[in-house]
Amino acid sequence: MIRPGQGAGGTQSWRQSRQDWLRDNLFSSPLNILLTVACACLLAAALIPLLNWLVIDAYWSGDSPQDCPNKRAACWPFVRARFDQFMYGLYPAEERWRVNLGLGLAVLLALPLFLPRFSGKRWLAPALIVIYPLLGAVLFLGGVFGLPYISTGHWGGFFLTVVTAVFVLSTSLPCAALLALGRRSSIPLLRVCCATWIEFWRSAPALVVLFVAIVMFPLFMPQGFEIDKLLRALIALTILMSCYMAEAMRGALQAIPKGQYEAAEALGLGYWQRFFFVILPQAAPIALPPITSHFINLFKETTVLLIIGLFDLLGMVQRAASDPAWLSLGASATGYAFAAAFFWLFCFSLSRYSAYLERRASRYKTTA
Amino acid sequence: MKRELAWQAVLLVIVAGLAWQLLSVTQANLARLGVDSGLGFLWQRAGFEISQKLIPYSADSTIARAFAVALLNTLALAVAAIVGATLIGTAIGLARLSDNWLVSRLALVYIEIFRNIPSLLQIFFWYFAALRALPRTDSSLALFDCVFLNNRGLFLPVVHAAGGWQWLAAALLLGGAALCLWRWGRKREQRHGARRRAIRWVPLALAGLAGASLLLADLSLQGPQPTRFGFQGGLVLMPEFLSLAVGLSMYNATYIGEIVRSGFVSVPKGQWEAAESLGLPRHLAIRLVLFPQALRAIIPPLSTVYLNLFKGTSLAAAIAYPEVVSVFAGTVNNLVGQPVFIMALTLAVYVFISLCIALFLNWRNRRIAPSAAP
Repeated sequence: MIRPGQGAGGTQSWRQSRQDWLRDNLFSSPLNILLTVACACLLAAALIPLLNWLVIDAYWSGDSPQDCPNKRAACWPFVRARFDQFMYGLYPAEERWRVNLGLGLAVLLALPLFLPRFSGKRWLAPALIVIYPLLGAVLFLGGVFGLPYISTGHWGGFFLTVVTAVFVLSTSLPCAALLALGRRSSIPLLRVCCATWIEFWRSAPALVVLFVAIVMFPLFMPQGFEIDKLLRALIALTILMSCYMAEAMRGALQAIPKGQYEAAEALGLGYWQRFFFVILPQAAPIALPPITSHFINLFKETTVLLIIGLFDLLGMVQRAASDPAWLSLGASATGYAFAAAFFWLFCFSLSRYSAYLERRASRYKTTA
Repeated sequence: MKRELAWQAVLLVIVAGLAWQLLSVTQANLARLGVDSGLGFLWQRAGFEISQKLIPYSADSTIARAFAVALLNTLALAVAAIVGATLIGTAIGLARLSDNWLVSRLALVYIEIFRNIPSLLQIFFWYFAALRALPRTDSSLALFDCVFLNNRGLFLPVVHAAGGWQWLAAALLLGGAALCLWRWGRKREQRHGARRRAIRWVPLALAGLAGASLLLADLSLQGPQPTRFGFQGGLVLMPEFLSLAVGLSMYNATYIGEIVRSGFVSVPKGQWEAAESLGLPRHLAIRLVLFPQALRAIIPPLSTVYLNLFKGTSLAAAIAYPEVVSVFAGTVNNLVGQPVFIMALTLAVYVFISLCIALFLNWRNRRIAPSAAP
């Protein structure tokens, strides 16, 4: 269809093109006009009160409960007063540099893994998985090298969320690889064992597994042997996550053409050589997007820890909101909004990264 | 072959050894703590109240009955959330496909916002912030004077059968039978081309009987009556139930929306064009050509979402909605101190129901999947 102004070869004005766009995308038919108007009304009905509550009516200055006289408006002083707790939990203030240092080191060391062109990934990743937990334990727990000991009971807030997510990721990846290989093994008994294990844990909710770990682990241990509560939770989450990741890896292993296995075998490579030099380099790009999305789920799932009495970011917000001094609808809702924004930022950027990986993997597949 | 056998033997020995070690240590620990294991505790008097019960229950009932009540609460929540998530998710998925820029963008924004916030946080928001902000009982929001919403929950009218429930059950059964027979008859007619009068009359007669028993049941709608202390009669949905159902639905709807969208996108464009060139009107093309093919791509990932949603109902323990985890792993475990059996039972419930959902959806999937290529 040729409209006036079109076809004159680039003389179409900006205003004209804008009008065309509006007509095509918003007002093309009576039904579309109705939908556009309805959506605009809906948007206004949702956004105006939200903006009012979050920004215009909200209290911004100060850091004490007296600074928020209206109990219903958003109360940012609450977030300011408790910000350190939201970040570090009950970690002693003078020792918080250790947390900053440890997390900063993690970001610095892991950064090369996210660069597409860095070629040392296959050495860096396993090295990090082995070394970083030790380094983290020394820094965060202390008790050696003159660092004061800080029990895991003091850990909390966003720090705990990150520690849990990263620890569980790094322990569950090797376990998952073993489980996935076991499930595809040629030994029937091993296959059945791995499949049962994976399917069993995948059908149980994280919360129940955590409860089971908290209650049962002490019973499994010989007398006089105590496991820390956080460690129990971490082990439980590792068991759970490794089963999910194993399925992601199995999918990737299945996506590799059978000829690759046969070719590697024909070259006379052994089982582990075949795996490390032929299968893994091809399977990793395929497995990475689902693994990232499982990691995002894990990140969100860490909030469940608060039910068993470990206070992650949401747990600290919840705890602060039930403080009698701050008890008000405005304060608690502001706390939730803050936590939601924080989680959203992390999960959204991770999901964008995962989408990028997926695009890259599909390119890899088509060119291969 | 020999090597494989040897490996299996080694594996068997390791697994059996680990299991035996675990069992013996656990038993020693239990004996030391003075816990007598056994399922006898299930028939003890429970001694605690449960705030939402779908079957009669009081503090004098047995623990086994408390377990049944909690299980029914879990299932009720799961069904409500699955229905809600499917409705919202389908709407969002279709909105994503809309030609209208604003509609598809709004759907995208919805998906990106609610998918990236932990579901527990969303549940907390609804429970501790949104529902608390609702008016009190004396100034509750009312719809047509029979649905009321306040900070005590949602009050709905219920169907009341003055003529007795058996008539209603009979009407439902007869109606169902009529529908099944009618559909079977139509299929038969299409297949054989022959018309039989009985196939037409029997369902009609059954439907007439169903209508008659519906009249005998004398149905009426009973709304909640406002009294001085809240409302009387009708169906009450607790705030806990409401916030869980809303939170879980809205969170999982984001996944369903994406699945529905990609399901429709996966249908080749030629199918749509072929339907159009056959002269099928738009609604028939969607119903007969597009939808059945999209469904094939939708059902398998949808079953994963349903399973996740079912597992997500355990989050109810965080706001003390009386479901399996909070009643059993929480209250009962504190009461009788039988951790091994209680935890095993709780795990077994979830594993069993998850497997049932998976099997059911697999069966549905096989029914709609294309028959094997000739």
